[in-house]
Amino acid sequence: MTRNVKPAHSAGALERRLHRLMAIILVAAMGNHSDALADDASSSADPHASMFLFSGFGTLGVVHSSEDRADFTANIFNPNGAGYTRSWSPSVDSLIGGQVIANFGPKLSAMVQAISEQNYDNTYTPHVEWANLKYQLTPEASIRIGRIVLASFLVSDTRNVGYANPWVRPPVEVYSLVPIDSSDGVDASYRLNWGQLVQTFAGTYGATSSKQPTGGNAEARRQWNISDTVEYGAATVRIAYQRADLTLDGLHTFFGAFRQFGLQGEALAARYDPYRKPLAFVGIGGMYNPGDWFLTGEWGTSQFHSVLGESTAWYLSTGYRWAQLTPYLTYGALKANSNTSDPGLTVSALPPYLAGPATGLNAGLNAILGSIAIQSTTSAGVRWDFKKNVDLKLQYDHSRLGAGSPGLLINLQPGFQPGGTLNLFSAAVDFVF
Amino acid sequence: MTLIRNAGLFAIGLTLSLSTGAVMADVVAVVSAKSPITTLSTSQVQDIFLGKTSRFPNGALALPIDQAEGSAVREEFYAKMAGRSAAQMKAYWSKIIFTGRGQPPQEAANSVEMKKRLIENPAAIGYIEKNLVDSSVRVVL
Repeated sequence: MTRNVKPAHSAGALERRLHRLMAIILVAAMGNHSDALADDASSSADPHASMFLFSGFGTLGVVHSSEDRADFTANIFNPNGAGYTRSWSPSVDSLIGGQVIANFGPKLSAMVQAISEQNYDNTYTPHVEWANLKYQLTPEASIRIGRIVLASFLVSDTRNVGYANPWVRPPVEVYSLVPIDSSDGVDASYRLNWGQLVQTFAGTYGATSSKQPTGGNAEARRQWNISDTVEYGAATVRIAYQRADLTLDGLHTFFGAFRQFGLQGEALAARYDPYRKPLAFVGIGGMYNPGDWFLTGEWGTSQFHSVLGESTAWYLSTGYRWAQLTPYLTYGALKANSNTSDPGLTVSALPPYLAGPATGLNAGLNAILGSIAIQSTTSAGVRWDFKKNVDLKLQYDHSRLGAGSPGLLINLQPGFQPGGTLNLFSAAVDFVF
Repeated sequence: MTLIRNAGLFAIGLTLSLSTGAVMADVVAVVSAKSPITTLSTSQVQDIFLGKTSRFPNGALALPIDQAEGSAVREEFYAKMAGRSAAQMKAYWSKIIFTGRGQPPQEAANSVEMKKRLIENPAAIGYIEKNLVDSSVRVVL
């Protein structure tokens, strides 16, 4: 995917609606409290369970990039990062998050989780990542209403919790494939235990709207995601499928201009305009972790019927735990399956006064197509659990950008050479509390 | 010279840390003596304490109870049962907590309180040092 798709949470109308919804469900939940307590007596839940639970997590990190004419960012929401904007950037990985869970009995609970990290507009104003009401129908089945983080990949929903993961950040090739990470709606999960084999089905339906650093909103409607996770001892295998109707209104405005150019312009706009176009994603991931070593890998492909086209990525990572030290190695690759250029409007067939604007539009179209990310990265790092609930990670990445591609870099400056290589050095301290 | 001495000390430290498992007191998984559960496999205990199942093999609800964080008995239990360090267990639960999928087991302050909690609730399962086992509890693993 190109870096033009950079949604970030906004305090927009949708958010206000969600806050109102959360207030209503919390009030309703309080009203239900007596019922929940009645359930308490008949189930195995005991008086030692607490009503409120507070937890938090955070990362303090710095990243240095050898490429000073473009920025490296760890996720698609950051407006700038390491390289051009800052030689040593603290904004790429640093963040802090806090969570409150309220238990209204053994079945009903509410969760709110907010995070402060670099937003689309370069502020650190906290935003709500999770806010939902959960009803536990049985110990194996639950439904949630509200906001959740989508679990497109194995660690998508904990990518911000550095302490939970072996690396400084999840491999960027795979984790940049899907431009949406949130859903306001409903979510259900059902777990089946077949002796030692544990199978969990999950499904989500909702919508989301988020602001992009490059301007405009990313709006996903009719968004659904289904996944099946199978765990057997130390092994986990997961398959997920996701679909949404996605609009990137910043680019929609650009393609509106093509519609002024007759049938050919209409056809180009119909093909490339990211306006309510289906986005489909399928991902398969596996992890084997018997305790003193791990092997994990994921493969995913996303298809967006628009200028952003189709991309495929995978990674493989392994690590070995040696007392408090866990060194690891990762290889990741991302490629574009769709065209990265287009002849565009036939300028010679246009009257001279339209030739200039048409040439400009063609250049714009090809700039977007050409910026589709193609790259591979080899990483080596180490996690050191030096203190209770705190780790230190050091990571070195060497990335090779595809011919003519800026890879996942953004803020390309004059003199930047696409298709090169770059080295990153990252240090991060992760903590949970 | 200093480097060689440090390397030597480091090797000794490593040998000691690798051998501590053998000298630690044995840890056993226990339930209330009133519980109908008589025996469990390592993987069954593991699934209960890792939150992968909410039930005993007979279908009855299971309520796992941990010892205090940082206690030797807890570290040994997870090292033996799941091959994981305290930090790895914290990372494991962080994934579940910060996605709202669940909460780690409740905690008992020590083995005496653990036994009290097991007697209170026949659905509970915990672990204590083998030499603290008495008639109030039953060893299931």
